[in-house]
Amino acid sequence: MSETVVKLRLNQQQLELLDRTIAQGVAPDRVSLVRLALREYAAQRKAEAAQ
Amino acid sequence: MTPRTIIAEWILEPGTGKAVELLKGQILRIEQVEGGQCADFNCFNLHDYKEFMHCGRTRTVHGFHPTTGTFMWSAPPRERAMLYILEDTVGRNDVLFPRCSAYVYEASYGFAVHTNCHDIQAEAQREYGLTPDDVHDSFNLFMCTGVDEDGHAFMTRQTTKPGDHVDLLALMDVLAVPNVCGADVMKTSNFSLKPLKLTVFAATEADLAKVPATPKLASQRTPKDFRNRAIKSDRPLRRDPAYRAEFPNTPIVVTELPVPLAPDEIAMFNAVKRSDIYGDDDAAALRDLVFSWWEERFLQAHAGAPSIGTK
Repeated sequence: MSETVVKLRLNQQQLELLDRTIAQGVAPDRVSLVRLALREYAAQRKAEAAQ
Repeated sequence: MTPRTIIAEWILEPGTGKAVELLKGQILRIEQVEGGQCADFNCFNLHDYKEFMHCGRTRTVHGFHPTTGTFMWSAPPRERAMLYILEDTVGRNDVLFPRCSAYVYEASYGFAVHTNCHDIQAEAQREYGLTPDDVHDSFNLFMCTGVDEDGHAFMTRQTTKPGDHVDLLALMDVLAVPNVCGADVMKTSNFSLKPLKLTVFAATEADLAKVPATPKLASQRTPKDFRNRAIKSDRPLRRDPAYRAEFPNTPIVVTELPVPLAPDEIAMFNAVKRSDIYGDDDAAALRDLVFSWWEERFLQAHAGAPSIGTK
């Protein structure tokens, strides 16, 4: 199945925060960081719902 | 343990306050004499009165009832720890309520003149050249307050006893201004006005060792960093014709970041996105998710409060 593209709208400050997070080695690039955030955020909500 | 050296002592009589020069490394003890008395408190940098204690910042960092182990912070853009609460035998102080004022007693009780914390503070601060407009939001010691279910602040009676006290350690040279709260027709001080005792001690090494580290950040600015360093000395406000706006990080420029999501990721996203807030705007919902995740994973302190180390 095909991918869906969501076009995030971020200002320079928000991008700076993402780039500093990437520089810490959390993810290799901006898109990967967003996808990591999605997976971890969804997993956390699922864990909370299971409690 | 080495005993503290007493530097000065006063009794604050009902209806009065006292401006005290409290140098870095000295402790101001505010103590109940009879019990049941609220103290209002202001604090200024002794060498620059424009730096003063900020209850808004303090309650964001430490909550509505600062007690042992918390700091009194100065207002932005300084945001320095001015005082450290070294000891608090009661643990019920307030940074929610404003000082009581003459207006309150006239409007609600019909008094032409009545003891009130604003006027007492102003009179005590006048000894150092400050004006009634310089009195700031007060740290209310021993004041028993809370927030009801409707979001309104309330105050109630206190249970303090003689000898109960709060010890404030100065982390910089300050003018500390406690006053006996003037409220005798409210629950604040159990419907009577009583004296308070003030003692200034020299902190011992053991006292100083209890203070957690606080960050030293470039954003803690002082007048040398200000574009306008001069303190305005007249009252009317007039436009500066030479003014050119220099807001930080402006203009704000928005960039699109296309994020391809696989079907399983879309399913995850649909399960957690805040459609209740963003409706069909998936871009806004994903942005919310990213920064909510960032706060959960990386933010160290509540509500962006300054991080505080441990010792």
